[in-house]
Amino acid sequence: MSVHGLHIRKCSFVILGAILMAFAGTSFYNSRHLREPVVLSPGVTQVKKLSDYFPGIKGTINDSNIYILEGTEPGGTILILGGSHPEEPASRLTTWILAENAAVEQGRLLVVPSANRSATTVTRLGGAYPPDFTIPTPWGGQKFRMGDRWSNPLDQWPDPEVYIHYPSRQELAYVDIRNLNRTWPGRANGTLTEKTCYAMTQLIQKENVDIVIDLHEAELQYPVISTIVAHQKGEDLAALVSMMISGSEGFDIGMEYSPKALHGLSHREIGDHTQAISLLLEAPEPFLDATRGRTDRALLLEGKDEFVLRAGKHGLLFEKMDEDGWPIDIRVGRHCSTIIYILELWSEENPEKAVVARKIPRYAEVKEKGVGFFLRDPTKEDPKNVYFE
Amino acid sequence: MSMATSAQIILAVMVGTYLIAKVFKVSTELSMFAAALAGAIAGGFGIPARHIVEGAFTYLDIVLIFITATLFMNLLKESGGVAYVIRGILRRFHRRKSILFVLITFLLLLPGALTGAGSVTVLITGGMIAVVLGYMGISKPRTAAIIFILASLSAAAPPVSLWAMLTAAGVNMPYVGFFLPLLLPCVLLSLIVIFILGWKGKPVDLKKALEELPEAPPRMNWIRILLPFLVFIFLVLAGRIWPHSLPVVGLPMMFMVSAFVSLLLSPIKLNFLKISRDTVHQLLPLIGTLTCVGILVQIMTLTGVRGLIAITIVTLPLIAVFLTLFFFLPVSEAVLMWGAAPVLGVPLVLLFNTIGLNPIIALAGMSVIWPLGDALPPTAIIGRLTVQTVGMKDSYARMLKHCLIPAIIIMVVGTLMVVFSKKLSFLTLL
Repeated sequence: MSVHGLHIRKCSFVILGAILMAFAGTSFYNSRHLREPVVLSPGVTQVKKLSDYFPGIKGTINDSNIYILEGTEPGGTILILGGSHPEEPASRLTTWILAENAAVEQGRLLVVPSANRSATTVTRLGGAYPPDFTIPTPWGGQKFRMGDRWSNPLDQWPDPEVYIHYPSRQELAYVDIRNLNRTWPGRANGTLTEKTCYAMTQLIQKENVDIVIDLHEAELQYPVISTIVAHQKGEDLAALVSMMISGSEGFDIGMEYSPKALHGLSHREIGDHTQAISLLLEAPEPFLDATRGRTDRALLLEGKDEFVLRAGKHGLLFEKMDEDGWPIDIRVGRHCSTIIYILELWSEENPEKAVVARKIPRYAEVKEKGVGFFLRDPTKEDPKNVYFE
Repeated sequence: MSMATSAQIILAVMVGTYLIAKVFKVSTELSMFAAALAGAIAGGFGIPARHIVEGAFTYLDIVLIFITATLFMNLLKESGGVAYVIRGILRRFHRRKSILFVLITFLLLLPGALTGAGSVTVLITGGMIAVVLGYMGISKPRTAAIIFILASLSAAAPPVSLWAMLTAAGVNMPYVGFFLPLLLPCVLLSLIVIFILGWKGKPVDLKKALEELPEAPPRMNWIRILLPFLVFIFLVLAGRIWPHSLPVVGLPMMFMVSAFVSLLLSPIKLNFLKISRDTVHQLLPLIGTLTCVGILVQIMTLTGVRGLIAITIVTLPLIAVFLTLFFFLPVSEAVLMWGAAPVLGVPLVLLFNTIGLNPIIALAGMSVIWPLGDALPPTAIIGRLTVQTVGMKDSYARMLKHCLIPAIIIMVVGTLMVVFSKKLSFLTLL
């Protein structure tokens, strides 16, 4: 090829690259800056920031909102975390339903929809995730950021050669230094993700939280699925919840012990380092399976996939999979009912620390009406009652 | 149309586009890019700019490690350090073939192990080792085979083994516990290969060899060579010993610091900018490949093609999986290069994990087999590079012929590691 021809070829590639970057850059910018409205439930009495508990997080992307719902009677305090892994959308959507609908009569409910806000602003490299998804509502639809498992490298980079967890010194995968569910109990002078966990540990201690419920979803090829993972302090409660739900709510949920030697996870470290009982809920999400087919919003929200179904027929899954899939309504409904049972059974056993809440929809109701039914139209509300994630 | 049929059609379009691009002698990187574009269009996604750019950044960290580690190695070579080491070894051990082979094995394994790239081994030490082997009376095709196989094993050796890293990342498995499962087979197989292929080698004619090898600068010494490595080891160890007192540095910065130490200690003045430019130029095909593999994998995931391949593999009879690993792994490497790891490696590791095998040992076994594909067309990047570096004038097939027996041994060892991975689990704990 002549020198002239080579120059033309190089220029063409540069121009094509610039066009691609412009389109992609716009998409990245828009999804990072997408504002997700939360219409406050009348039961929300305060909205605090994570930096109220640890100023070291102030001004960072992870200075998340904490929606506090207080009853008129004193009681216990339960913290519910959504978005530890934002690529598991049922966790965030459940917290939305709580913050927009729940009413507390006794005790307090603390709700964090974006535990790792940074991770909501990025999608998995190589994962082909959609940048966002829309939940249909009676008033149209509400758009949410898709998110990833790890904090955005724009907020925390580079990763170390190996990640050594604080304070256990356990060696973990280097990338997990950006995984909020591997950095508990956190470190005041650590990375952004470690600081975020530290701030939440401070919150748990200062607010004297009794139970922390960390909401998650899992691929069907992962053995820890459709279950409550419980710290030993919460074993009895989790076992009881599992038993009660399996007999009455129309779905089964198991119970597993938090491994004592596996560090950094909320169900282990919160229980070990604070006064709170820590529980982690897992719902099935076929979108996360490595054998999944076309990766799109439909798979994310409907949870139907021919290839994952085939894997199930070959006995490769740890949860059933049929033609109906695992729609988002069912996954969110499972979380809602499990939370209701945890509140009820805890309150029965600990009347002086009871947390009594109403207007949290049960599994059957979410399944029937859909998640969108419980999302409120921000345009019809007083702007003072609308916060953004 | 079912998901499977749709994915099969898209896969056919992608394969067809790739083959057509190769027929028109388009580079492997651009052929993969073209296949990705065609797949996205066939899947009804048009030209998905976001996915293309996101996919292109998938292996950014690995690319940075590549560039900085190779820069470090190139500075060491340009300062005369590599020549100094090889001349020193020859002077001392030219009559003792066995020790010479062991030291040559170490010199060939080190660059690739540190950088994850067999090409770096070929470029940094391969040429000079070829001269030494030549003076031992070993033929050029046989020399090329030794350098290619050891360069391949160096790429699989720890600490940086891209196949293991990419697959582990794909299944959310920590890249921890791989050191011995990768190191042992790589070192042992390298020694076996060099002794088999170099067995007929005679003692080196020292005078002639030293005349042909590049001179080391007069002021070069072992401290100037070893100090940059010690700095690198110190930085790695410091990050592990005081992880909560030091800022996170990252491997690329560690290699850069070592590179600067090497630059400062060089007995001759080095043109840093020129060496940096040459390094990037030298690595462009590999960087291009990694970038395009990222795009290809992203589009395959988007369209369901990756899922189709994954589900097809994990539902094969187990015995068929074991018996065909030796074939599919090198062939997938020849076509996709490192892209083979996320596409084939991820479902295989999931399958092995599900049936109770040890995923780390199994992945280490596969990682030893994969790089053999770097000698096979259509890419054959490392094979071709080796032939050029050694200056072999014979047909390419002659080198492949000499690679055959070592390759069979490596395939057998790798497959046995997979099959008996559970029994070898103790290696991950040491």
